[in-house]
Amino acid sequence: MNNNTKKRLYILLVSVISVLIIGKFVYETLEKNIVYFFSPSELYDITELPNGTIRIGGMVKKGSMKKKGNDFSFVVTDFKREILVNYTGIKPNLFEEGQGAVVEGILNSRTNLKATQILAKHDENYMPKEVADALKKSGDWKKKYGK
Amino acid sequence: MASNFANVLLIFSIFFSFLSNLFFFKKKTKLSILFFNVASVVIIISFFVLIYYFCTSNFSISAVYENSHSLKPFIYKLAGTWGNHEGSLLLFILIISLYGLLFNIFYKKKDQFKAWVIFFQNNIFLIFLIFLITTSNPFDMIIPTPKEGLGLNPILQDPLLAIHPPFLYLGYVGFSLTLSLVLAGLLQKELNDQWAMICWPWVMLSWVFLTIGISLGSLWAYYELGWGGYWFWDPVENASLMPWLTSTALIHSLLVLKIKNKMKNWTALLAILTFSFSLLGTFLVRSGILNSVHAFANDPDRGVFILLIISFITAISLIIYILNSHEEGNFKNFFFSKENFLNINNFFLLFFLCVVLIGTIYPIILSIFDETISIGPVYYNSILAPFVFIFLITMSVGPLLKWSNSFKFQNSLTYTLIFLASLIIGFVVIFISKNYDLIFYLGLCSSSLLILIIIFEIFSARKKFTFYILPRLFSHLGVGIFFLSIFLNSYNSTTKNFEIKISEVKKFENLSFKFVKQEIEKIDNYLEMKTKFEIFTDNEVFNLRPTVRRYFQPNQITSETSIKPTLFSNHYLVVNFPDLNSKVLGARYYYNFFIHGIWFGLFLIIFGGVLSVFKKRV
Repeated sequence: MNNNTKKRLYILLVSVISVLIIGKFVYETLEKNIVYFFSPSELYDITELPNGTIRIGGMVKKGSMKKKGNDFSFVVTDFKREILVNYTGIKPNLFEEGQGAVVEGILNSRTNLKATQILAKHDENYMPKEVADALKKSGDWKKKYGK
Repeated sequence: MASNFANVLLIFSIFFSFLSNLFFFKKKTKLSILFFNVASVVIIISFFVLIYYFCTSNFSISAVYENSHSLKPFIYKLAGTWGNHEGSLLLFILIISLYGLLFNIFYKKKDQFKAWVIFFQNNIFLIFLIFLITTSNPFDMIIPTPKEGLGLNPILQDPLLAIHPPFLYLGYVGFSLTLSLVLAGLLQKELNDQWAMICWPWVMLSWVFLTIGISLGSLWAYYELGWGGYWFWDPVENASLMPWLTSTALIHSLLVLKIKNKMKNWTALLAILTFSFSLLGTFLVRSGILNSVHAFANDPDRGVFILLIISFITAISLIIYILNSHEEGNFKNFFFSKENFLNINNFFLLFFLCVVLIGTIYPIILSIFDETISIGPVYYNSILAPFVFIFLITMSVGPLLKWSNSFKFQNSLTYTLIFLASLIIGFVVIFISKNYDLIFYLGLCSSSLLILIIIFEIFSARKKFTFYILPRLFSHLGVGIFFLSIFLNSYNSTTKNFEIKISEVKKFENLSFKFVKQEIEKIDNYLEMKTKFEIFTDNEVFNLRPTVRRYFQPNQITSETSIKPTLFSNHYLVVNFPDLNSKVLGARYYYNFFIHGIWFGLFLIIFGGVLSVFKKRV
């Protein structure tokens, strides 16, 4: 083996190793930061509850919103299963009962979520895509949201 | 029927574009170029026709009906022309032809190279024109004519956003000309330093527009969305960042090609990648795959069509690339040479690209398997941060080195002192701000190192002043200030959330808010609730006036932020209605430290880019 080939092999080895190390680092960070989305029914069916931050989505059940100071709670439903959401903070504009909502937070139990963020849009006809899909799956998709 | 006229224009344009191809194959170069010009002019006219329909609120055109409203202020009627899928696609095509026309004007030689460039530009133009007519004709009619339009999404009704899409498109689409230049260069076996000189201003021009477009979008998100930040790693933002990263890499490898006649194939590949990512950005944003204010087209056919176009253009380009790859020649490489550091810069930019690409398309791939996920901003921040330090350091050192030369470092004492100074600056800042964080410290050191070295360069260049180093100095200084400000901002900003009634006072440690006044006013197409807050900080008192708007058509509520800029920071307040009937307002307050620095840094980066468009020498 002459000097040049040796040098090339050496460079190749170093680059393969560094690509592997960086790749592992990227992969691990990605795994840690994935936020999975569940509908209430999916959470009911799942065997092992997710640990970290998740998102849930559905309709805010009519008559379920309760408020006490800065804390409030409401029920998210896909018309089959329900999840109680507790949230501390400011509600987004026109966040009302009977609307679609996506909520990010950590599960206390199978049916209770401690929310860190409400992802709402300010459109009265707005239906989050995830919610639409979740409601379609649970079979309670109303014609009025259809598009 | 007015719109029949416009449709005839579109058909004529396709016809002329075909003629241009025909004459190209018959080796009648002059005629081929002429017909491309004619097709371009016809498209420009048809775009003005569309603008006219939007400005006069002609609701017989379905694109106007779906995206406009007669009560809308004039500027948003005008901006509505490109605020929807069909109109923006026509703008896209218009810009393809505009770059072709400009190239025709500025490239004086009448050689085979020019003929090829126009041929490729013409075919990109043709593909998108066929797409426009078959799937998204902006001149489709509605019968009977509706009385009133559906209106434009209110958060898009903003002066910055009116000009954001044209700038972004001038950037994205400008890279179509770069692609044509590369393909022509490959076929003519002319990918050399001469070719790089021809290419340079066009690449820089598109890059400048793209940078302006992204900056405007970021500025808009900052004050309009009311989330207190300027970048959210939203897929739509990422879609525009990806071609930016590849084009920035392209600029730097083009520099090596221009001066050393090296990295030919690599430069060609980057140019192909850049236009493919520009198209991918358009696809992600317009296909409705992503859930965002930008996603207009919910028609899956269009998405599939765009995907086919991307694959087709990329595949053809790659085939031409592989069949015509250039001999690189044998060069001695030194680690400490300018071109090697430009090489390293390219690797970093492509690594950033991979990180952003994975974060953006991984959720899309999973969604095919019926799994909905999203990826948090922590992913991007924690991966990119450590590499940004090294990136900034190589950016400080690289330009000081010589072309193809082994390690010869002048003024090493001065640079050592500058290096120590940046370490000390880092220490001083973390002690003042009381944020003892390693990442913060490294960020401060590496960005101040870059800034200090450039300031030193400016001082030493005073004696023998030359124009050609200015673009780099401005842009790189901008990058230094940009990252310094990002680190200062993200480690020293605070947020407060609270509810407040009229004439109530909320107190925090060193800050208090008084809700003074509230009134409701009717303006053009919305009702506005105006509020007035008095804010008391340690050493000053000022007012903030955030508002809430209720739009009628479409029926939506938006919050308008109120920002008080001070010397080093922004006080940023946004209010909303938790309930319509209650008297309580929800308020979010953000203290944004050193945010001006981010905009100033971007301004310098862009300014350097503008200078470099006109840079004749190296």
